[in-house]
Amino acid sequence: DRQTLVAVLQFLRRSNLRESEEILRREARLLGDDLAGNVATVATSSPGVAAVAAVPPGKGEARGDSPSSRREPREAGSPCAARSLRGSPLCWDTRVGAVVVEDQPDVSAVLSAYNQQGDPTLYEEYYSGLKHFIECSLDCHRAELSQLFYPLFVHMYLELVYNQHESEAKSFFERFHGDQECYYQDDLRVLSSLTKKEHMKGNETMLDFRTSKFVLRISRDSYQLLKRHLQEKQNNQIWNIVQEHLYIDIFDGMPRSKQQIDAMVGSLAGEAKREANKAKVFFGLLKEPEFDVPLDDEDEEGENEEGKPKKKKPKKDNVGSKSKKQDPNAPPQNRIPLPELKDSDKLDKVMNMKEAARRVRLGPECLPSICFYTFLNAYQGLTAVDITDDSSMIVGGFADSTVRVWSVTPKKLRSVKTAADLSLIDKESDDVLERIMDEKTASELKILYGHSGPVYGTSFSPDRNYLLSCSEDGTVRLWSLQTFTCLVGYKGHNYPVWDTQFSPYGYYFVSGGHDRVARLWATDHYQPLRIFAGHLADVTCTRFHPNSNYIATGSADRTIRLWDVLNGNCVRIFTGHKGPIHSLAFSPNGRFLATGATDGRVLLWDIGHGLMVGELKGHTDTIYALRFSRDGEILASGSMDNTVRLWDAVKAFEDLETDDFTTATGHINLPENSQDLLLGTYMTKSTPVVHLHFTRRNLLLAAGAYSSQ
Amino acid sequence: MEAAKMASPKSAPKDAQVMAQILKDMGITEYEPRVINQMLEFAYRYVTTILEDAKIYSSHAKKSSVDADDVRLAIQCRTDQSFTSPPPRDFLLDIARQKNQTPLPLIKPYSGPRLPPDRYCLTAPNYRLKSLQKKVSSTAGRITVPRLSVGAVSSRPSTPTLGTPSAQTVSVSAKVGAPVSLAGQRFTVQIPSSQPAGKSATPTTPTVQNVLINPSLIGPKNILITTNMVPPGAAEPNPLKRKHEEDDDYDAL
Repeated sequence: DRQTLVAVLQFLRRSNLRESEEILRREARLLGDDLAGNVATVATSSPGVAAVAAVPPGKGEARGDSPSSRREPREAGSPCAARSLRGSPLCWDTRVGAVVVEDQPDVSAVLSAYNQQGDPTLYEEYYSGLKHFIECSLDCHRAELSQLFYPLFVHMYLELVYNQHESEAKSFFERFHGDQECYYQDDLRVLSSLTKKEHMKGNETMLDFRTSKFVLRISRDSYQLLKRHLQEKQNNQIWNIVQEHLYIDIFDGMPRSKQQIDAMVGSLAGEAKREANKAKVFFGLLKEPEFDVPLDDEDEEGENEEGKPKKKKPKKDNVGSKSKKQDPNAPPQNRIPLPELKDSDKLDKVMNMKEAARRVRLGPECLPSICFYTFLNAYQGLTAVDITDDSSMIVGGFADSTVRVWSVTPKKLRSVKTAADLSLIDKESDDVLERIMDEKTASELKILYGHSGPVYGTSFSPDRNYLLSCSEDGTVRLWSLQTFTCLVGYKGHNYPVWDTQFSPYGYYFVSGGHDRVARLWATDHYQPLRIFAGHLADVTCTRFHPNSNYIATGSADRTIRLWDVLNGNCVRIFTGHKGPIHSLAFSPNGRFLATGATDGRVLLWDIGHGLMVGELKGHTDTIYALRFSRDGEILASGSMDNTVRLWDAVKAFEDLETDDFTTATGHINLPENSQDLLLGTYMTKSTPVVHLHFTRRNLLLAAGAYSSQ
Repeated sequence: MEAAKMASPKSAPKDAQVMAQILKDMGITEYEPRVINQMLEFAYRYVTTILEDAKIYSSHAKKSSVDADDVRLAIQCRTDQSFTSPPPRDFLLDIARQKNQTPLPLIKPYSGPRLPPDRYCLTAPNYRLKSLQKKVSSTAGRITVPRLSVGAVSSRPSTPTLGTPSAQTVSVSAKVGAPVSLAGQRFTVQIPSSQPAGKSATPTTPTVQNVLINPSLIGPKNILITTNMVPPGAAEPNPLKRKHEEDDDYDAL
């Protein structure tokens, strides 16, 4: 009651209804001291709230768990915290005001959330009643309505724990946890250890789950059925719970089969709302600047930018695309600022084109050769691997916090000479780039020290001048590959950073970590440029789209989100995996995304339509590496089960059903064709595959650390 | 090391069996045997810390014994100290909204390596070279060694760094022979200029030669023991200063 008052006052203040707020506050002053005293106990008994109040929202310590602060008075005899209160009880509103930072829906969540939905002892009755109803319903509806079991079970259980009905919570859990789907077992195990309210406080994922709505997609017929049943008088409580915690996305059409549903569910937030996947995504590639290839006859024509018609016809194909018209699906060239092309980059592109001319055309008849780089004596400490685009260097990040760079080619790694020696060389000579290198430092291996925790992600820059590494110590480090020293440490995540990657054009890089956000950085800014917040659990994998305008993040909440670099919006949410996602790969044409997770499945997604278009079953353990071949014909996947598998990507992406129904509802019938698409399985003796890389000529390189069991 | 299965129940003490059961309940099936010991140690340390805190709180509240409220309070306070958790979702959404509103900055072309301002980089040298005016050789027991003086003009560091130490960190007194007080533990280095003795009185800036700090020359006081190859006549002018310097030597210990 009093808390309602508090929340209403916050709401009025935020909507700038000052006068009404004043009037209400004046009238509420009758309860004033009582109120203040009570809220003071509220604030004190929850040190989290006090911490929030004491710290402006700008700092990182805020705990905005308003539902808990509202519930405090229910505790009998809550202890008074030793923590001193900021200011007198008269400024209680400003303090509590600092807590409510969220949008309006959360205020209403606050208002309704603490309303205890009926008698805790009857929760089991409600649930079993609903269960009975669903099991007796028609087959076609049953699959869809069964989706309700898991979210309702979790929310009711958390409700009981929150309101401190421990014994009821335990018996509720005992009775019904066996009924849930097998893919929720990990979550249920975590839940079984949460028996007290205090346990929930540290678990951000569970808190987020409680305050966010679980999305279900149900056909209109099934929904009507459910609604009619729940609105009968005795089932009112469940109806309230459903309304409060679930978001039911209704579609018109045939109810889905169990198989269809099983393919799409599994994430911590249910499925994705259809509107979430409706935004336009520019998945096309950026136009390469065209310039003539200096061929054998040294055709020094000079560069022409983006498709202006040339005077002289070049002898061979251009580097860029032939069409002069803008691809409607490609982003405008200047949508996001990109670094200009340097001379060395142009040389690199020329090399790339030459290599591409000698590229092996892969296909079901012509499988790539696989060259495996095994890290010996790593003692299970190899945590990250990356290979440069031209396959000249390989880097390993280790659990002993070192980063080791090896040269793959016979050419050794050299660092630049000291300033003393550099002043002595002849700057005008043609091979000045060779002369600046110090022959005395030539070695095959360079070890980089600097991190203070295991290195979980590494990434070479496209121009091979820089190396990024991210670690459990919360920093991302930029290393120079010319001096083999550390240049910058980017601090922002204060928690382990699980993955990082340079943009395909250099300059930008993305990192994702335990704090559930991904950050976009530029090498010359010490703070991130963009923060991508929205995941419910750790961000475990981050990848740039080939056109550098979008970033895909895979998370431990079993969803993949696609973010727009320009404004930080989430433009796609893909659900369907049943475990944390550990690998992502964009197809070279930018249209498709392949993802691998701990459930051993590779899922294929059409980015433009926002649909799942394929499921590749075969691996039996976590998939840590995914890579498309250079022209997108083959998808290679490497897993902890010590195998590399090759899949036919061309066949997987043809014959897409994109009729109106599919695009409207997002349902697709996935054919069971994993076996047809599997082109080969290659086993290593006992080396889990951590990284895959196609060279410019389509030779597949794989890397892993030998583990002796 | 091989990941072992659970410890054999017969030989393990009860605590270890309980811990093994906990690990099994949480779904962890493969772990090295050391893990149980580490977990037990952590549990012991955590519980004793909490109980000690609870004792303090209960004695502060003048209670005769520790009760559940004290323990609860102790847990709450410790949780916020030792086990910080990431910021809550609404806070993250808020700061994300703020950050994402600013447009992406334009990239200046042809600006060399794109790095943040120097104070945010790790490229600055983390040492400074300071010149020491030569100590007089007449003090007994000192070894004669050619001295290196670091010039005011660009000194050449022996380690490759991207930034050169700024010239002004090195001070050279033109007058050869005037001792400079030592600061802290820094040892300083001087090169004898290859000038004949006669020129030593003229204030010439010695040219830089290779700065090679040979650790074997560093004496027990962490000061490079050098002697003056310049004729003692030049060293005479400041006997008082020399004394100061000796005091400083001791101070520098």
